[in-house]
Amino acid sequence: MSEYPQQPGKLIKWFDPRHRSLGSWAFILNRVTGLGLTLYLFLHLIMLGQLAKGPDAYDGFIALVKNPVFLVGELLVIAAALIHGLNGIRVGLTSFGIGNSKQKQLFIILMSLAAVAIIYFAFRMFAH
Amino acid sequence: MHDGFDVKSRMGESAGAWFFKVASGGLIILVLFIHLVINHLIVEGGLLKYADVVKYYQTWIVPFMEVFFLIFVVSHSLIGLRSVLLDLHPSNQVLRWLNRGLVVIGCAAIIYGTWLVFVIVGRG
Amino acid sequence: MVDLWHVTFEVFRQKDNQKSHFNFFELDINPDEYVLDGIERIWAFTDRTLVFSHACHHSTCGACGMLVNGVEKLTCITSIRDVTRDGGKIRIEPLRNFPIISDLSVDMSSLYSRMEAVGHQPILPIQEEDSKGKVKSEGDLLRLADCIECGLCISACPIALTTSNYIGPAVLAGAQQHGELTPCILELVNSENGAWRCHSAYECTEVCPSNVDPAWRIMELRRKIIANRFSSFFTRK
Repeated sequence: MSEYPQQPGKLIKWFDPRHRSLGSWAFILNRVTGLGLTLYLFLHLIMLGQLAKGPDAYDGFIALVKNPVFLVGELLVIAAALIHGLNGIRVGLTSFGIGNSKQKQLFIILMSLAAVAIIYFAFRMFAH
Repeated sequence: MHDGFDVKSRMGESAGAWFFKVASGGLIILVLFIHLVINHLIVEGGLLKYADVVKYYQTWIVPFMEVFFLIFVVSHSLIGLRSVLLDLHPSNQVLRWLNRGLVVIGCAAIIYGTWLVFVIVGRG
Repeated sequence: MVDLWHVTFEVFRQKDNQKSHFNFFELDINPDEYVLDGIERIWAFTDRTLVFSHACHHSTCGACGMLVNGVEKLTCITSIRDVTRDGGKIRIEPLRNFPIISDLSVDMSSLYSRMEAVGHQPILPIQEEDSKGKVKSEGDLLRLADCIECGLCISACPIALTTSNYIGPAVLAGAQQHGELTPCILELVNSENGAWRCHSAYECTEVCPSNVDPAWRIMELRRKIIANRFSSFFTRK
């Protein structure tokens, strides 16, 4: 009999939504945004170290991040936070027995909310 | 592994870690919402000037809120990262080092962030 | 006379640990027949070396689970019409996350021993288990449990994909159905490889052919474990 396979190398297939249902999209989005936000959190903490160096360092740094490349990055962070947070509400609710049979509808509603909020923030940021 | 079972006792995912992840997630949503409202809606143009940031931190509740937020965000993100790594089934030895590494990174981030909050409050 | 459909079966082949490949078989088949009928016909008339598992042909034994066009299906109840069109193809692969014995047949012994370990009861008194916990009394009548141990949920689960130590949706659902959290069951389900491994992708419930709703049962089980942990924390001497 062959060995029961332990296959950490298949992790890339976590992110393969082909033939999968909506729940897998939730899983994929949660994982990608979670990892992205963790990376951002630590970059953000390091960046805020500029505050300790005084007004010139910080204000100079802020002037730098006002260019469009950083703005797009910032929008990505906002989008990730909204998606991860709102999907987190779905995970939390279903974990405590609320809306299990309606988890797909819940996901669609929450992600629509996220989309609206992302578009709103995009307009605000790029309108200036 | 024998007959499909693996119940080696090790510090893997547990009821406590999972519960903390869900509970801290809820708290983060709450505080982040307040943070977004203040930074992007109430304060015109956001808290982008050094002077504005220092002024913002003079309100007594803000430093408390930020340190509280920092602790929960750092813990939530590192426990979440650990869940992802656990899905790759690290060996006991790798997991031991992983646990130590994550605790050190988490504590360092929290201490550094708290220090930063005190520095900014002190500049007021 | 029924119009036959011309369908190409694209069948996964692998013997021992040799490299896998696909064989193509052209069949003229009644679209209201089932995918398993097509596979049996290939075996009967074209290729006697094709290995696949099947038994009851009416979705009770759980032996004929396979990937049909990438999705987990019980092939004995999946009609040709539902998965392809006239002139189309059907791609048949073995279930994921189990070791392949040969071609389309996989080794599910770990699932069976895990089910036994969590005390899953294949036959239940009717009053004890109605769908979704509604209690009804029907005298001494017995029924088969919903779970037919087909393994589709474990094949579909993204977490079972990387670590086979995860005991999987069917087993966690079995533990929830068992009711009582004995120390042995608790040790299995309240562990790194138990209920906490689930990340709410709901693929198990999506592919379950038998109304078990494993995802719902995993969430139920978690609440039960949390309640158990809380009460044992406060009653600890």
